[in-house]
Amino acid sequence: MEFQAHQIKDILKIDYRYTMGGQSKFFIELMNNKKLLGTKCTKCGKIWMPPRINCSECYEPAEWVEMKQTGTIEVSTIVWYTTSAFIKAIPYGIGFIRLDGADTAMLQGIFSENLIPSKVKKGKKVRAVFQKEREGKMTDFFFVPEDEYESWIIKPEYEGGSE
Amino acid sequence: MEKVAIIGIGITPFKARYLDKTYFELAYDATKLALEDANKQGAEITHKDLQSTVYGIYNELFERQFMPDIFINSYIGMNNKPGTRIASGGATGGYTVRMAYAEVASGLSDLCLCLGVEKCNDCYDIQTGTTTPEVLNAIAYSADMTYEYPMGMMAASSYVSMVNAHFEEFGSPTEEQMALVSVKNHGNAINNPKAQSPMKITVEDVMNSRIICYPFKMLDCCLYSEASAALILANEEKVKELKIDNPIWITGVAAANTDCFIGNREDMGRLYSNIYAAKAAYKMAGLDYNKIKEQIDVAELHDAFSGQEVISYEELGFVPFGEGGKWIEEGGPMIDGELPCCPCGGLIGCGHAVGATGIMSTGEAALQLRGDAGKHQIIIEKGRGLAHSIGGPGAAYAAIIIMENQEAKK
Repeated sequence: MEFQAHQIKDILKIDYRYTMGGQSKFFIELMNNKKLLGTKCTKCGKIWMPPRINCSECYEPAEWVEMKQTGTIEVSTIVWYTTSAFIKAIPYGIGFIRLDGADTAMLQGIFSENLIPSKVKKGKKVRAVFQKEREGKMTDFFFVPEDEYESWIIKPEYEGGSE
Repeated sequence: MEKVAIIGIGITPFKARYLDKTYFELAYDATKLALEDANKQGAEITHKDLQSTVYGIYNELFERQFMPDIFINSYIGMNNKPGTRIASGGATGGYTVRMAYAEVASGLSDLCLCLGVEKCNDCYDIQTGTTTPEVLNAIAYSADMTYEYPMGMMAASSYVSMVNAHFEEFGSPTEEQMALVSVKNHGNAINNPKAQSPMKITVEDVMNSRIICYPFKMLDCCLYSEASAALILANEEKVKELKIDNPIWITGVAAANTDCFIGNREDMGRLYSNIYAAKAAYKMAGLDYNKIKEQIDVAELHDAFSGQEVISYEELGFVPFGEGGKWIEEGGPMIDGELPCCPCGGLIGCGHAVGATGIMSTGEAALQLRGDAGKHQIIIEKGRGLAHSIGGPGAAYAAIIIMENQEAKK
């Protein structure tokens, strides 16, 4: 006789109000002033972006520094199949962007009017565009190819940065 | 340190879904299979003889249970003995073998159970009525939750970043070279009755499969699977006492974690964790990173995505950097090639039951060395094999296990 399985539908759900701790200033300046803050190690001078308030190499504090809002794509991809949380957003571009002056690269969304691999390739210059409605989260901004910047910041929901 | 041998191997079939088993029932099956296998090798043991367990279980959200190990511990009759859980992403299996090795090598246990299990496909997106996107979401919570998860980062986009960076640096692996891995591993799986995805396919089939994450296509990616795998490890005294015919000695174990933030890495196109773990494991086993291809018979690699297998050929020292793609074009890792890689089908052919996978890979390499791999048995001349596990955010975790059949060498 065929096995009869009993299945139960269920959802696990936890609510949070999580603190960003020492990184809080990054999110506050992003939300209030459209600034992108990195940190610079007080000993070795390494610039961390995303920021960390301690240098993981020197074990010394790192100080806040305002970063330029332009950078270069180090590596990218275009996602066509993804998780249940993002499946409605496909296709979307993401990549590791090294902001000008930073020693590390940060993962961010790369938006383009023409989202094809050659447009979001390694070495392409990009610039940050901000949401008009910001919540102090990484989704408050994204990057666009530098030559598309002007056309993105005139859209009603977006605006340019503090520079 | 005590010498450590694998004396029992139990692997359940890798399946899309077990409607008839829970994760602890699957773990029981693999444990029973491993005990039966040890007894076929000459032992006369039951679970009551096992002194401790090291559990490999990656994801609480899959099992819908935090601390799933303690529930397995009850179900497999291991109460009142030590049990330790390892969770290291896709490398959970390899790390679990490493810790079970340490349990025996240190003298804490004479006989230790190394047990991995995963049951992912109970995840289900009720809104869309689909399984895989919800499984991927449960995995995506392994990405950094502040900076990376909100960007839509997931396993494939994490691996593809490394592969794309490698391609930028070396012009390899090309999409066709990656496709060859898929053709090889799906093909090898045809001779493995426990594999989930046996398929005779061509490079064109891979190239024409749907795009997942540029340039990975559907057939470049492993499927998430449900399974359990178990090994019984023993020290030399126990091997003698139990009169084990064909012990497979673990001669090298090493692991390394590279930076989980890909953007922090100096080279985004390679996994230094693989290089460090490989060099350390080879050194422990008395082998040479620059000659390793000539020193082993078989490599069970972590081919969660085809492109990473090609890069692993380089990182593990089989070929120089940039030449992995050429090596597969020349047939090097094929089942009849210079060094067969993933003769069981690997993750692409068998499926990826995360906590069980690296233990299955280790068990498969051990079966090959014992001459017990069945229809996918390869020729064993040197008596040595390797199992490789990677995983976690940016594939930061890596573990390498070296095994040896000292009888085969004679």
